[in-house]
Amino acid sequence: MSVRLLSSDSEDFTVAKEVAERSMLIKNMLEDVGDNDNPIPLPNVTAKILRKVIEWCEHHLGDPVTNDENERRNTEIDEWDQKFMEVDQETLFDIILAANYLDIKPLLDVGCKTVANMIKGKTAEEIRKIFNIVNDLTPEEEAQIRKENEWAEDR
Amino acid sequence: MAASSSLTVCGPEDISPPATPPSFHFHGPSQRTPTTPRPFQQHIHPTLLDTNLQHDQIQKLKARFQQLDPQQKQMFLYELVNCCSSAQLTYLNSLISPRLKIDFLKELPIEISLHILSFIDDPKTLARAACVSTFWNSLLRDEATWKSLCMKHQYQRRNSSICGGELLAPPSQRESFSYRQYFKRKYNIAAAWAHGGKVTAVDDVFTGEVLVTSLQFDNKFIVVGCDNHRIEVFDTLSGAHIWTLEGHEGGVWALQFKGGDKFDPERVLVSGGCDRDVRVWDLNRGRLVHVLRGHTSTVRCLKMKDKRFAVTGSRDNTLRVWDIERGVLQHVLLGHQNSVRCLEVHGDLVVSGSYDATARVWNMRTGRCVHVLEGHIAQIYAIAFDGHKIVTGSLDYTIRVWSVESGQHLATLQGHTSLVGQLQLSGNTLVSGGSDGCLRVWDLLHYQCIHQISAHDNSVTCLQFDDRRMLSAGNDGRVKLWDIKLGRLIRSFSQPAKTVWKLHFNDTKAVVLKQRQRYITVDDRPGEKIEVVDTIMEVHDFDISDEEIMSVLPSSSGIVPMDTD
Repeated sequence: MSVRLLSSDSEDFTVAKEVAERSMLIKNMLEDVGDNDNPIPLPNVTAKILRKVIEWCEHHLGDPVTNDENERRNTEIDEWDQKFMEVDQETLFDIILAANYLDIKPLLDVGCKTVANMIKGKTAEEIRKIFNIVNDLTPEEEAQIRKENEWAEDR
Repeated sequence: MAASSSLTVCGPEDISPPATPPSFHFHGPSQRTPTTPRPFQQHIHPTLLDTNLQHDQIQKLKARFQQLDPQQKQMFLYELVNCCSSAQLTYLNSLISPRLKIDFLKELPIEISLHILSFIDDPKTLARAACVSTFWNSLLRDEATWKSLCMKHQYQRRNSSICGGELLAPPSQRESFSYRQYFKRKYNIAAAWAHGGKVTAVDDVFTGEVLVTSLQFDNKFIVVGCDNHRIEVFDTLSGAHIWTLEGHEGGVWALQFKGGDKFDPERVLVSGGCDRDVRVWDLNRGRLVHVLRGHTSTVRCLKMKDKRFAVTGSRDNTLRVWDIERGVLQHVLLGHQNSVRCLEVHGDLVVSGSYDATARVWNMRTGRCVHVLEGHIAQIYAIAFDGHKIVTGSLDYTIRVWSVESGQHLATLQGHTSLVGQLQLSGNTLVSGGSDGCLRVWDLLHYQCIHQISAHDNSVTCLQFDDRRMLSAGNDGRVKLWDIKLGRLIRSFSQPAKTVWKLHFNDTKAVVLKQRQRYITVDDRPGEKIEVVDTIMEVHDFDISDEEIMSVLPSSSGIVPMDTD
């Protein structure tokens, strides 16, 4: 069984049903419409991102589904996913949005963990550099926040 | 999606005046190499060009570019890049790369941003992230992040004096509750435990060579029983001596109090000792309520079931059940052939350990002996009981585990090489301390020793653990804090003393009673140092303010508190 998916820029993808069903959104749609040959339109996902998402779903096809929040939360990103996520920030951003829209929780988690790892252990200035953020706090505000958060430093 | 438009090389936002006036070291566009970290300030700007003519040409080129279709634009850019020098490419790169970055937390839907933060379990990072920008700061004030952090750090304990109340209170009373503040407080407490809290030392109450036999404290009172017939009562917050309970005519060997909760403020204290009397006190007022007579030798151990009933064990081989409210004897529990050394109460069941090498299970309602637990070949010194399992520690170096229902022997735990004098049982975790100076952590599900810790140079005199930490003390005068999961030393507490009599801790405080030795010179024997011993009480407070915590952290220089070894 295969399913046709139509990206926002009108590219037509044919994928195995099990692969497509990693997306809860698509799974529910398929249940609603039943078997038919019409492509499923995904107006929020470009072909470039959809290709990445399908690649991920194919690789993780055999993964056991875990509903244990803690387990999902605490597992490190595996090597394949790390490589998979070595993309520019825009692509990463779009993958996260697509995972959220398509409702693929494990992919959303991997994306979010990747961003979290970019933040971990960094100073405020390093974080600003990584994400090109302009510091809009006044020196007084910043000093105040620093003071409020002093307790967390150097334990 | 904010980033999608940023690929255009010259968007309209680029035609803003430079932050600084045109620089005089300008050499012409072709030799430009960026030197400052903010290359956009060096962007080719109209005012830097020699003539308006050149300006017009560039404007025309730009207009032409904007008219191209996407594919043509791409080809144009390809050609343009191909005719750039490497210096120009570097410049181009520095121009583009910040634009390809995205402020994820700001641009993503807020629930995804919070999801990202939920993967960060390090409060230090979160605290720093709060300084990034106004938006990040507001995001990090979100309760969900801190709640998740509280959960991850397991800052939600049931049997906790400082947690339970706040979280269990009905929502109407919880309005001002902040997970962030809560996390901060718990985090600070954990840090103070790890690095040292505020220590109040009391050294002017215990005079002479007093021996401390018993200790209990709650958030209001510290109660200390001594062999000098006295019971000293202190204020837990300040460490100030409140009063002495006098009346016992021999050394006090056991005491316990109950009450002092929010809905049950009256505290009842029961004490017993060498004078064979059991005394019941109104602790809040420091008044004697009853003297219970009956034992014919030293009262060696006692436990309260509640504020109504207490059980005492004596060197006269008996246990006695007392109605401490009315001040009358309920039952005499007969059967042991030698001193009753230790006892525990759970519900109506009493378990006792004796120098006759047996332990017994009693029903305190009927006064009957339910089981006799035989197997040890020497005196029993310690007993632990959780309502199901009974654990006994003996001079025969072994620990035995028994079922209270059947009275059957379940396991013998071997490993200590001397008397097992300290036991604590919690769930399936048992910790034992021996005269061999060792602590052993046991898994009672598989009857395995998980950690064997050489803790003290001499007997382990005190032992207490909860689900976070373990404290032990020994005749070597040291108090040590352990990570019970890893079986590793976290730090040594206090300055080493001659011996540690007693210790007790809760979430935020630890009280240590120890014998200290000092050498002094006296007037009539000049040049000679005389050893004096005295007993000192230390109250370690771990729930301390931000300012205080900064002063105890290792990173900060300054006064090193006495709570370091």
